[in-house]
Amino acid sequence: MRIGSHDLKLEKRSTLPGWQAAIISLLAILFALTVFSLIFILAKVNPLVAYREIFSYAFANRFGLPLTINRFIFLLLCTYAFIIPYKAGLWNIGMTGQLYGGVLGTFAVLFAAGGKGFDNAGLSPELLIPLMLIAAALSGAAIGAIAGFLKGRFDVNEIVVTMMLNSIAFWLVAQMIKEGGPFMNPGGEGQSFVVPLSVRAPLIANIPFTIFLALGVAVLLYLTFAKTRIGYQIRAHGQSPTAARYAGISTTKIPLLVFVLGGALAGLAGYHYYAAVPGVYKISSNYGYFGDLAFYGIICGLISLGDPLAAIPVTLLFAGLSIGGRNVQGAFHMSFGVDYALLGVLMITLVAFQFFYRYRIVWAKTEEDRLDVGVRR
Amino acid sequence: MPKGLLEGINRGETVIETRGITKRFPGVVANDHIDLEIKAGEIHAVLGENGAGKTTLMNILFGLLQPDEGGIFIGGERVKFRSPLDAIDLGIGMVHQNRKLVPAHTVIENIVLGHPRAGRILNLKRAEAEVSELCKRYGFKIDFKAKVWQLSEGEKQVVEILKTLYRGAKVLILDEPTSALTPPETEKLLSSIEAMARDELAVIPFITHKLPVVLAISDRVTVLRRGQVVDCLETAHATEKSLAQKMVGREVIFRIDRVAVEKGEPVLQVENLSALSDKGFLALNGVSFSIREGEILGIAGISSNGQHELAEVLAGLRKPAGGKILLGGKEITHSSILDRWQMGIGYIPSERTEVGSIADFSLVENVAMNFYFDHDFSPWGTLDYGKIRRLTEDIISEYSVATPSSATKARNLSGGNLQRLILARVLSRRPRLVIAHLPTQGLDVGATEFVQNKLMEAKGQKAGILLISEDLDEILSLSDWVAPLYEGKFMDIIPGEGASKESVGAMMAGLHLREQEA
Repeated sequence: MRIGSHDLKLEKRSTLPGWQAAIISLLAILFALTVFSLIFILAKVNPLVAYREIFSYAFANRFGLPLTINRFIFLLLCTYAFIIPYKAGLWNIGMTGQLYGGVLGTFAVLFAAGGKGFDNAGLSPELLIPLMLIAAALSGAAIGAIAGFLKGRFDVNEIVVTMMLNSIAFWLVAQMIKEGGPFMNPGGEGQSFVVPLSVRAPLIANIPFTIFLALGVAVLLYLTFAKTRIGYQIRAHGQSPTAARYAGISTTKIPLLVFVLGGALAGLAGYHYYAAVPGVYKISSNYGYFGDLAFYGIICGLISLGDPLAAIPVTLLFAGLSIGGRNVQGAFHMSFGVDYALLGVLMITLVAFQFFYRYRIVWAKTEEDRLDVGVRR
Repeated sequence: MPKGLLEGINRGETVIETRGITKRFPGVVANDHIDLEIKAGEIHAVLGENGAGKTTLMNILFGLLQPDEGGIFIGGERVKFRSPLDAIDLGIGMVHQNRKLVPAHTVIENIVLGHPRAGRILNLKRAEAEVSELCKRYGFKIDFKAKVWQLSEGEKQVVEILKTLYRGAKVLILDEPTSALTPPETEKLLSSIEAMARDELAVIPFITHKLPVVLAISDRVTVLRRGQVVDCLETAHATEKSLAQKMVGREVIFRIDRVAVEKGEPVLQVENLSALSDKGFLALNGVSFSIREGEILGIAGISSNGQHELAEVLAGLRKPAGGKILLGGKEITHSSILDRWQMGIGYIPSERTEVGSIADFSLVENVAMNFYFDHDFSPWGTLDYGKIRRLTEDIISEYSVATPSSATKARNLSGGNLQRLILARVLSRRPRLVIAHLPTQGLDVGATEFVQNKLMEAKGQKAGILLISEDLDEILSLSDWVAPLYEGKFMDIIPGEGASKESVGAMMAGLHLREQEA
């Protein structure tokens, strides 16, 4: 594009330092919030007031902050369920199904221990909580493993398989909690029985212990990709399966491994949401809502470019905006869906701004003007 | 827009020229004020090492890239190519090194594809008549009904040339036209190029780093080095040595001395080995041979005669359809790729960028490809990047890999430098058996010499080497034994010393020695 005697050109970047990526993301967020102001203005709400309300409720409010953190833990685990296969060049669109698997595993342990129907059943938390975690991780992993195995062994497209498994797992949950299913609430309201008091997840300052789990996974993943042999093998497979195979890396085992690990983390997200978040402690009849929320793991993973540490601020922002957005919608009597609209605009902007990860704008003197200088005869 | 090329221009007059063309890429100046003048009826070679800027310059001439500075002039008027379509409209045609044809279509369908007159209804009859006229004039022979995937590299190139001529190209740019051709195919192509140049209409600049080709055919040659024009001279006044010197910037020795090594125990024994190609044909059809320590076996052959399958089966990337492989007496026919690396096979693949390296990995991470499984570099499941970095830096200095640092991404390395890195990485493992598939393909004189010397050095250290090459000179000057491969079978295995180029060349084309005499 030509402006005056200058040319506006796009130039491909050869490298992108981390801090530049962070600045670009911040600009994208500001841009998205500015664009979304229009919605507030149309609803005759001062955007600045609205944003202050959103952020203060999400991050500085006695009621809002725990909600944000609970959602953050959930989203972070889902994001890692996406990131691990993503690092191996594979797309896990199945965190929802793996999460349902985790929930079923968790409730299966409770059911087997006789926790159904008694809020006060005297179950041992020292034994059952670890068992629930293991069962959640294993059943999430088992669902993930199907996609990983089919991909590695027969090169079946993992996106299709994981999406189909989402559907299967969704109806499996329905089968278990509705119309006489084993996990059905004795009251028969189309939801599961309640997690007995004694085996609910311990809280620290009203936050379930799963936050340490999620942050521990963050550090562990960072170290795995940066320092270990298996992390290297996964990354190599992600860059080029052909070259990885040449180097002796198994193209059968890596897809299986990453989907097992990703599925396990999604399974833990399932445990977290349905057995550790205060006020839930059951599979409610609208469990599909949280299954859908898990998809934000994909977008958070993409925005953080698969970096396990960058995923922390990104998911925290998404968690906060979804909680704060829902609140502002009620506070200003706006129409339904403001929170999702806000997340949607943010998502599109962040992804669109990734263009600047690859290109930068250069501002240079127009070619014709330089030509005479350039000619050497 | 100025009028079409060659209108009102006589032989020997300037058709097209570039003035002060400059093109920068992140970190490099690919073209630095390049002036190039192409005259009607001349064959103008553009010579230069890899990374000298030949391809960039030609892509600018063809409209694929836009120059940062400078311009293209036709008949004194400045022209601007926004895309190759503009260049094609003016009569510039380009035949790329990487073929851009539709494999499932026939030759004639490919030739008319994209032709403005093809329109919605294909008049193949008329096209065939016109194209066969072109064939007759320039001495091309091709079956119009054949599917492109069935053709050899040389035939595909003919299709590309016909396609550009049929679209009315007056200036034909050929990028490395002989790199994939057999000696007889090269000869045929060169005589066709001469025929085109004799024809008042065609002018042919072409890009190559093959000195004999340049000397044999071109009228003038422009030598590029590091993005700049070093010289532009009449070919008649040049010799192979003087051109090489201008191109590399120093003296070049063309002979590699065969190292005399005492032959030891057999490293590799192969019995009746066969393998299927990706398409499911029997591409390798029962070959048997053995390689001893300190011995180079050269596989000579035109591409797609089973070389690729042979290399992959030995490296473990392809399952054999039959036969046996023994490494140091131990059967490895069904061993995994990783086991083979650990047992001492070192594989240098022909596909440097797709198989041998990872473009978005740093050089350190690329070197790690052959070391991540060693306990020394990877204790207790961790990966000692510090140690691998030191190894990479040693490799960079010992093999003179031109790179800003070991943290640079592999995609920023030129072909020659990437090959040095891969070679160094593999040889640093001190493998008992080296499989080198097209180790010098596409490399310039300096890098070729270097790679060949390093292979000789490995031989001196008692490695057994399987050298697969399409460059007959390379095979003959390096190998202790030469096995011409034709349609998946060895025609013979003969001593390398004293083998004649003609007889090996004929065997590559499927002629037995007996038939040659007859």
